[in-house]
Amino acid sequence: MTTMRLKRLARRAGLITAGMLLAQTALSSGALADERADLMAKHRGGTITLAAVSAAGTVDPMINYTAQFWQIYQLTYDGLVKFKQAGGTDGFEIVPSIAEEIPQATNDGKTYVFKIRKGIKFSNGKDVTPADVVASFQRIFKVKGPTTGSFYNGLVGADACIADAATCTLDGGVVADEAAGTVTINLTAPDAEIFSKLAVPHASILPADAPLADAGTTPIPGTGAYYIDSYNPNEQMVIKRNPHFKEWSVDAQPDGYADEIVYKFGLTEEATINAIINGQIDWMFDAPPSDRLAEIGSKYASQIKIDPLAAFWYAPMNTNLPPFDNVKVRQAVNYALDRDALVGLFGGEALAQPTCQILPPDFPGHVDDCSYTAEPGPEWVGPDMEKAKALIEESGTKGQKVTVIAEDNAVSRGIGTYLQSLLSELGYDASMKAISPNIQFTYIQNTNNKVQMSISQWYMDYPAASNFLNVLLSCASFVPGSDSSINISGYCNKDLDAKMKEAMTLALTDPDAANALWADVDKGFMEQAPLAPLFTPKSVNFTSARLDNYVFNKQNRWLISQSWVK
Amino acid sequence: MVFAILQRLGQMLFVMFGISALVFLIFFATPGSDPAARIAGRNAAQETVEAVRKEFGFDQPLPIQYGVMMKRLFITQDLASFVNRGLRVVPAVMDAAPVTLSLVAGAAVLWVIGGIFVGVLAALTRDTLIDRGLMVLALIGVSMPVYWLGEVMNLISQSRFHDTIFFSWVPALGYKPLTEDPVGWFKTLVIPWFTLAALYIGIYGRVLRANLVEAYQEDFIRTARAKGLSPARVMLRHALRTSLIPFVTMFGLDFGVLVGGSALLTEVVFGLNGVGRLTYQALLNLDLPMILGTVMYASFFVVIANALVDLVYVVIDPRVRGA
Amino acid sequence: MTDATASAEPLADLPATAPTGSKNRRASSNPWARAWRILKRDRPTLLAAAMLAIIVLSSLCAPLYASYVSGTDPFRSSLSARIMVDGKRVKVMQASTEGLGLGVSPIGPTWGPQYLLGADTQGRDVAARLLYGGRNSLLIAATSTAICLCLAAIVGISAGFFGGWVDKVLSRILDILWAFPVYLLAISLSIVFISQGIVIGPIEIRADSLLLPIFIIGIIYVPYVARPVRGRVLALKESEFVLAARGLGIPAWRILLHDILPNVSTMLIVFVPLMMGLNIIIESSLSFLSIGVQAPDASWGTIIQDGQTLLYSRPAVALAPGIAIVLTVLSLNVLGDSLRDALDPRTKLV
Repeated sequence: MTTMRLKRLARRAGLITAGMLLAQTALSSGALADERADLMAKHRGGTITLAAVSAAGTVDPMINYTAQFWQIYQLTYDGLVKFKQAGGTDGFEIVPSIAEEIPQATNDGKTYVFKIRKGIKFSNGKDVTPADVVASFQRIFKVKGPTTGSFYNGLVGADACIADAATCTLDGGVVADEAAGTVTINLTAPDAEIFSKLAVPHASILPADAPLADAGTTPIPGTGAYYIDSYNPNEQMVIKRNPHFKEWSVDAQPDGYADEIVYKFGLTEEATINAIINGQIDWMFDAPPSDRLAEIGSKYASQIKIDPLAAFWYAPMNTNLPPFDNVKVRQAVNYALDRDALVGLFGGEALAQPTCQILPPDFPGHVDDCSYTAEPGPEWVGPDMEKAKALIEESGTKGQKVTVIAEDNAVSRGIGTYLQSLLSELGYDASMKAISPNIQFTYIQNTNNKVQMSISQWYMDYPAASNFLNVLLSCASFVPGSDSSINISGYCNKDLDAKMKEAMTLALTDPDAANALWADVDKGFMEQAPLAPLFTPKSVNFTSARLDNYVFNKQNRWLISQSWVK
Repeated sequence: MVFAILQRLGQMLFVMFGISALVFLIFFATPGSDPAARIAGRNAAQETVEAVRKEFGFDQPLPIQYGVMMKRLFITQDLASFVNRGLRVVPAVMDAAPVTLSLVAGAAVLWVIGGIFVGVLAALTRDTLIDRGLMVLALIGVSMPVYWLGEVMNLISQSRFHDTIFFSWVPALGYKPLTEDPVGWFKTLVIPWFTLAALYIGIYGRVLRANLVEAYQEDFIRTARAKGLSPARVMLRHALRTSLIPFVTMFGLDFGVLVGGSALLTEVVFGLNGVGRLTYQALLNLDLPMILGTVMYASFFVVIANALVDLVYVVIDPRVRGA
Repeated sequence: MTDATASAEPLADLPATAPTGSKNRRASSNPWARAWRILKRDRPTLLAAAMLAIIVLSSLCAPLYASYVSGTDPFRSSLSARIMVDGKRVKVMQASTEGLGLGVSPIGPTWGPQYLLGADTQGRDVAARLLYGGRNSLLIAATSTAICLCLAAIVGISAGFFGGWVDKVLSRILDILWAFPVYLLAISLSIVFISQGIVIGPIEIRADSLLLPIFIIGIIYVPYVARPVRGRVLALKESEFVLAARGLGIPAWRILLHDILPNVSTMLIVFVPLMMGLNIIIESSLSFLSIGVQAPDASWGTIIQDGQTLLYSRPAVALAPGIAIVLTVLSLNVLGDSLRDALDPRTKLV
């Protein structure tokens, strides 16, 4: 779940421990129905005001690929299945939503039959039918959603839809049976992650008559407890209660407390911080500017929520260009990095944690391990400058020119400057360039731009090791000359690639064994060091004094509808 | 006369065409500017990127792309941003315009009054301490980078002295529409007005003083003084009137350029979402439709201001009319 | 001319009074000697010159300051360094200890030799960077002024002297650049070049080279100078002595060299300090928007940018370079005024 907005959020984000937030998640179990009704009676009403420096682009849930709006889609749209709306890692669990239950696979894991829940209505008053579901899947391809090639290419008939979107039917891939009230999904091959892919907002169920082009700034009706009433990226988004909503699953789409949610765009971070302190705004999407962290951390400690994120900041090194075509140089950079200093640039220990591996902590497949430190062991303890310098000496690449490409914002520029300084110390003729955050991400991917080293971040889409390792480092993710080549290091290792394929197949039958294999793959990649992991960020949420019942979901972050202001 | 007007219009159109073509070429010369992958989204399949490229017409030859874009900007007016998809360029610029207009108009009032005050007072007290003091202040005004002055004003009014009686009224940064909250509108803009006006008070004060000093040496003023007219009358009726001619032309040009979006540093520093900030953000995002929209808007004002200034000049300055 | 582009003086192209003026100047014994006599007596000018000299000299001494006084490398991050302050060893980057302990702030001004003005977000000595930044700011301003005036002279003289289609083409190009707001032009050019540098045949200018901002800033004000130059040349062409020279059959190149060039060059010299002042401000603005001087190099604008993220906790980082800019530009403006009064009172830019 990266993308630009997300990166911005990540800017100085952070959190404390999961324990702190679990204490507050009164309703995470969902079993306390009576208590919930009481709370609902007591706290229902009012308007929650959110703010972000900028909007996140199109409002279309099938196209928008930003954490900023995925958070909003949780309360406005539903897929056949959904990530559970609960605190902490419970949010990784997948629950049925538009579907009555999670179906068992048939036909060797290639067919799933979903029974569509009766009585769910869109915010325009129409019933949800199997035909809407089929139309929605076709629409993903017709509007050329960003994940058609990565998430939904396994559907039968997807190839034809990707080749020619206009005539997409998904014939044989998604089949409705109106009489039985079911939708059958057929895959070309078994996929251990299919439910995750169906649970993200790109697979939201929309009315069959939704426009077959990017909705842009015109919201599409949804099935959530709320609907998006209006959206102007330069001003605000207004979200209101869905008048046709009846709670059908607390886990998938719980009713919300506030009557209205207003999301304001265009205020600066400084202005937003002041407004939150004054109680005019309830929450800001962007991380507080580093200049104000110390102040709010001491004066308004109770209004700050710090939660861990499944993400990492890293420095991809182009393995096809000197000097980083030499594995010794890449390892040397990993040894030399003072990750504590980098954490400091991000806002200090409370907001980030040094890391020297790819999978983030508490993530499937993660095993604490760090070989690039003064005393190799489970944790990073300090840089090993001597070893780094020796490796550089051996590589014979001293004196070469190296340019680091950073994003033009305070944190990324700071990290870039630090890397430039470090590379100079290691003996290179180093320089740093900061380019606009909106462009940097595609710029560093294209091999034509000959980027040697850059700074990037990756936030999970859904909790699976493949979402980090296979996406970021597989041979298939490397496309020379394309702006869409997410394997930024341009690293292709046939052995590890085969191992990843094996792990994905194994995940169908034995998830634990698969995760052990993923841990192995992580270690394997780090030995070759096509990238240098920097730190794992945490999310800092600064809320108004009146906002209560803050629940942080590890998949979708703060659950807006579950907080109250009354 | 009609021919002259047509010629002038032709020139204006040519200049605007030149600017749009220049912007268009600069954009496509920029490495990494290809919007297809950015529009397609993170980790999009190559086929999706290609489909998007086709859908948006990025595979067409440049002149055709240029033509289509101009048509959508001026004729159908449905040109939409590449970054905030679905956001129409024309309404976005129109939404931002009142912010910039509020900022620039308020500052203009300040700098005209301030400039005349400084210029007249300095000319009247020529070569005294008051004159020198004013001229030094004016020069300091001219020498300060406006963004830095803005930062310092923010530091003083938002942080260091925010809790004192002088600045406790200062609201958080940002714009409040005049129609919704006139008092808030005024309060949020007072400091940006002064910040933006400081430079112009300096420039205008200096120019006016120099012109007044020059005017006092001209024959008709000497005659007026010799006739025994009161100094105030000489100043207001005669000297100031002729000296204001260059003042008016300068004002026209500056006002045009600022309304067009050149107050961007002030807008960025004070978090005002005006045309300047919109332009700056569009440039940073390489959002071509928005860049074209805002730059055309800006150059339109420059061109119009130039034309108006020339016109006013003909009307008020008899010497030009004669020639 | 900071936030706006304009205030260019439209009167400057009008031929109004030029001919007689230039004739007088030709008649006087030696304009330079006369100018020097006037300047010498002018105390504000001397003061401004002294201030400028101090700023230039101290910028030149930046390496000495860095190695002998502050003892740090102002181009290297020192995020884990410790220094002695009042006999105690303290960290340069200090993590907050209050409340949740969020945020890490650099050390503030120590008013001692090390970290006189405190550190920036990379733990570097701001005072040392200020001096190095001054070198770049002054260097860029001076060279881009030279480029701008040379180009403007070539364009303005060609347009004015040759007239005809040369004038038409050049004037139209100038019209376009003129209507392109200066900041937008500078920002567009910077964004293009800063991301990849320029490669023209065998010449390659790296994206982090100082030549890029010099080149960009050198171009953007060309129309503002070329217009008055063209106006002056047009006026001179109609003047009695040029007409007379033509009548005598003196070739065009001699008229250009003997009558027009000297006149235009005094005009351009008057522009030098004013343009330098403008260029310092525009360079700092571009660097402030991070499209000017690139890291690790410093300029006053980049230091203000660094200081912006520390404005509320460590204001000295942004204040110091701003004050340096104001003092420098102020001195340049005072010098420019005096130079104009002494050499060519009718020349106007702003």
